[in-house]
Amino acid sequence: MLELAMGIMLGLLGLGAGCAMIAGIGPGIGEGNAVAKACEAIGRQPECKSDVTSTMIMGCAIAETTGLYGLIVAILLIFVAPGSFTGILKEAIK
Amino acid sequence: MALDPAVRKETGYIAVWVVLLSILMEAVFLLIGQWDLSVLLGNLGGAAVAVGNYFLLAVTVSRAIDKGQADQAAKQVRATASLRLVGVGAICALLVGVFKTNVYATLIPLLFPRIGLAFRPMVDRKRGIEPSGAEGSDLID
Repeated sequence: MLELAMGIMLGLLGLGAGCAMIAGIGPGIGEGNAVAKACEAIGRQPECKSDVTSTMIMGCAIAETTGLYGLIVAILLIFVAPGSFTGILKEAIK
Repeated sequence: MALDPAVRKETGYIAVWVVLLSILMEAVFLLIGQWDLSVLLGNLGGAAVAVGNYFLLAVTVSRAIDKGQADQAAKQVRATASLRLVGVGAICALLVGVFKTNVYATLIPLLFPRIGLAFRPMVDRKRGIEPSGAEGSDLID
């Protein structure tokens, strides 16, 4: 019984980690759109290139953070949660 | 290929923030009595990954903008964003899983660049520089 419960729990943790990584898709799409618009802006006003590049790098880094949040949650679910959940489960069954 | 000055400037700014916040994090681990070698190694690894990820992002954006073709730039940035995220995840998993570094000390430095960027307008104002993005309305016109 304990083995079955642990198996289900570990499977769900893996599933949760996979779902958390969906957050990694959005930033890439957003950054791509933003950089495309930056290229168009530089095409119109080439003298603003350095300003646009600096602002773009900062903006992309901020967008990137949302993906990193998902990554951190996934790593915590894989490396930290199994140990603590297994302990809770063992205590509950005892 | 020479690096864009903006890449060097932005990466340097982020690296300074990551170092400062890493020292603060080590001090907190010392204060709560949880400090050991795994915390130091995790912090070093996490900080290196955070700065490296930001540097690669800056280089990618700078090169994509240099190309000047919107469609190609968008595709390039989309592809490398996914690759960078997978790379960051793989290195962190390797650090935690194989080298047994402290999980929290490895993961927390990944968020330090965001904290540095949150303080960016304040730092720019103190230096007397117009905050980045404030001139955006001129670009639209």
